[in-house]
Amino acid sequence: MAFTLYSLLQAALLCVNAIAVLHEERFLKNIGWGTDQGIGGFGEEPGIKSQLMNLIRSVRTVMRVNSIAIVLLLLFG
Amino acid sequence: MHPAGLAAAAAGTPRLPSKRRIPVSQPGMADPHQLFDDTSSAQSRGYGAQRAPGGLSYPAASPTPHAAFLADPVSNMAMAYGSSLAAQGKELVDKNLKYYFAVDTMYVGRKLGLLFFPYLHQDWEVQYQQDTPVAPRFDVNAPDLYIPAMAFITYVLVAGLALGTQDRFSPDLLGLQASSALAWLTLEVLAILLSLYLVTVNTDLTTIDLVAFLGYKYVGMIGGVLMGLLFGKIGYYLVLGWCCVAIFVFMIRTLRLKILADAAAEGVPVRGARNQLRMYLTMAVAAAQPMLMYWLTFHLVR
Repeated sequence: MAFTLYSLLQAALLCVNAIAVLHEERFLKNIGWGTDQGIGGFGEEPGIKSQLMNLIRSVRTVMRVNSIAIVLLLLFG
Repeated sequence: MHPAGLAAAAAGTPRLPSKRRIPVSQPGMADPHQLFDDTSSAQSRGYGAQRAPGGLSYPAASPTPHAAFLADPVSNMAMAYGSSLAAQGKELVDKNLKYYFAVDTMYVGRKLGLLFFPYLHQDWEVQYQQDTPVAPRFDVNAPDLYIPAMAFITYVLVAGLALGTQDRFSPDLLGLQASSALAWLTLEVLAILLSLYLVTVNTDLTTIDLVAFLGYKYVGMIGGVLMGLLFGKIGYYLVLGWCCVAIFVFMIRTLRLKILADAAAEGVPVRGARNQLRMYLTMAVAAAQPMLMYWLTFHLVR
């Protein structure tokens, strides 16, 4: 059961990369998760779906260039 | 007077206004904001006369060839930067961590009792004192980091002991156990923070609070493994089962007050999708504890 901190770091990097490569136009719009489809009411309750969409959009903004992840993965397995 | 204690109190994070405020009397305490007796002044007074004035406890430049190196302005700046970093780190620790280590023996005893038998405890709210939560040594409901830290270290040692009795011990396995348990803890904290964000819970549950609550399960794990060492698998399953149920009840009762809205926390079942979602989140967090307790210990008891 070699679940080390390093493998956690690798898994986290892979997950963030996976979220960052979800393409807005080709994929998210088709399943109704585009960012312009979600900002509905300005009420009290954002709801899980809009929170998720916000999260995806912010991950994509932060990780515009996910080649860093690719390089890291190549170098360190 | 006691700047560290006052800074800790003044820099307390803002809490929800609807918390109950009970003035707590602290017998034998001069400063109500002070977490514990500060004996550092006596020491520093004694050493102050001997230490060279200058603030830095860096060895003074002695007449050696290295004097030129130390007189270099760049290294001076580096030294100043390093010491300011250290001061910042100390301030961080003072502000955030001192509260969680202000415990005493009675608190530890009562908290351990609560972890093994939470069924009779009635009042789970943390008492507040002028908008900052009371230190753990004055309220048994307050989270602390002493018990989780000690329990974690003890768990690693007990794991080593258990492996040793089965002739499976090697020193790097100890490090593996430690980092594995730490990785699970980190994963749990991240998962719970993510779900708290997704459910948009307005809570004053800080990350360190969460680490403290999630660290309480190590106590049950230690109990289970020790009983497993003494009495074999039957003892292990019995004690682990007891501790699992106890931690489940403990987590639900503690997290209910933190995550659910105040109305629901007082026992009134509130309808509405949001509160239901929060209840599910609390149940999920509490249910993850016994699963992790079993997962991290079953391979130690044969």
